[in-house]
Amino acid sequence: MRKTISIVVIILTFLLIYFLQSNFFSWFTISAISPNLFIIFTLLIGLFGGKKLGVGIGLFFGIYLDVVIGKNLGLSTVMLTFIGFLGGYFDKTFSKESRLTIMLMVIGSTCVYEIGYYILEIIEHAVFVEVLPFIRILAVEVIYNTILTIILYPIIQRLGYLLEDIWKGQKILTRYF
Amino acid sequence: MHQNKKRGIIGIVITIILLIIIVIISNIQTTDLSFMESALGKLVMPIQNGMTYLKNKLAGNETFFTDINQLQEENKTLKEKNSELEQNLRELEIIKAENETLKEYVNLKDKYTEYTTVPAYVINKNISNYSDEIVINVGSKDGVSVNMPVIADQGLVGHIISVTEDTAKVQTIVDAASTLSCTVSTSRDILIARGTLEAESTLKATYIPTEATILQGDNVETSGLGGIYPKGILIGTIESVTNTKNITDRYATIQTAVDFSKLETVLVIQ
Repeated sequence: MRKTISIVVIILTFLLIYFLQSNFFSWFTISAISPNLFIIFTLLIGLFGGKKLGVGIGLFFGIYLDVVIGKNLGLSTVMLTFIGFLGGYFDKTFSKESRLTIMLMVIGSTCVYEIGYYILEIIEHAVFVEVLPFIRILAVEVIYNTILTIILYPIIQRLGYLLEDIWKGQKILTRYF
Repeated sequence: MHQNKKRGIIGIVITIILLIIIVIISNIQTTDLSFMESALGKLVMPIQNGMTYLKNKLAGNETFFTDINQLQEENKTLKEKNSELEQNLRELEIIKAENETLKEYVNLKDKYTEYTTVPAYVINKNISNYSDEIVINVGSKDGVSVNMPVIADQGLVGHIISVTEDTAKVQTIVDAASTLSCTVSTSRDILIARGTLEAESTLKATYIPTEATILQGDNVETSGLGGIYPKGILIGTIESVTNTKNITDRYATIQTAVDFSKLETVLVIQ
């Protein structure tokens, strides 16, 4: 029951992020570059909810984004699923107690997502490769995502542990010993 | 513990303020600051001029500089003459091109009235920084189908890539994956324009013929090749031509007629 409620909340949060991203962040930009909250959100779900939930939610979000605003099915689906998987991997490898590790994870996954997305786009649509503009956009986006992580950290921590409690239950007891 | 929490909140507030400052500063256009530039320039220029004069005096090469001034003046007048001649040549070229295409235009005007258009609002944009697709509020119900060209009152916007009953997705011409064939309106040279990542309202035109003379400010319109866009829709103006070592590699930057950051209403040509 708690799991079902958590999934409904996740989907509602996704929709909220979607509207924020396509309205508020389309003009609240750093030199015309907007952040990508979907990466942060999917990463955190993988990180706190585990690999399975991360991959599932990443797949769902990716398909939704591709169908509604993408060129065709594939790019966001593949990359967001991978970010969900990456979150699950980080969960087992790193501690999430400090703000710094979460920030580093966000930086890493933003780079992985955008580089992967761009490479897939080059392959799929024969896009003309532009390295320097791409690096500039990526750098600004990474900085923007990191700033947002710093601002949202208290909410991330509180809701994250609640999600972990729901999805992993007794398995996380070891954390306290 | 309490102090830690307080400090955390202060940290977050400072970060939010910083973010707002970064957003504001990064979005200010330099043209908005021209009054500041001129004011600051006025502050510095007299001193700068005085310093340069002093430096020249001290170095004792006043006459050398007067010579240079003379040469510079001569150079300036020659340049002016040259640009005047260039302008004349350009005007002649324009008249020639106009003469060639006048009959064509008469036909084209008739052709344009044949098109039926569907007005639409832009209701969504792609959230990615690397793609430029928009979603409009007309769909198959309104008779819109894939590959139909989309225009705004200023010029070409793009073409439809997918349709649902009530909405349609448009790939704009500035999308990095978009390529279209276009013609320079004065010289009738055919170019290939691609979307870039660099700026929202510019295109990069490549495959410029080696004998082509493309000048800044020339209008660029669709060539009618490729089967999607009809001939003669305005795309934008040539902003600059970049010459490379190899003449076949040179490219031009096109400023699109449509401002994609403020695009709100479009027309779909059926």
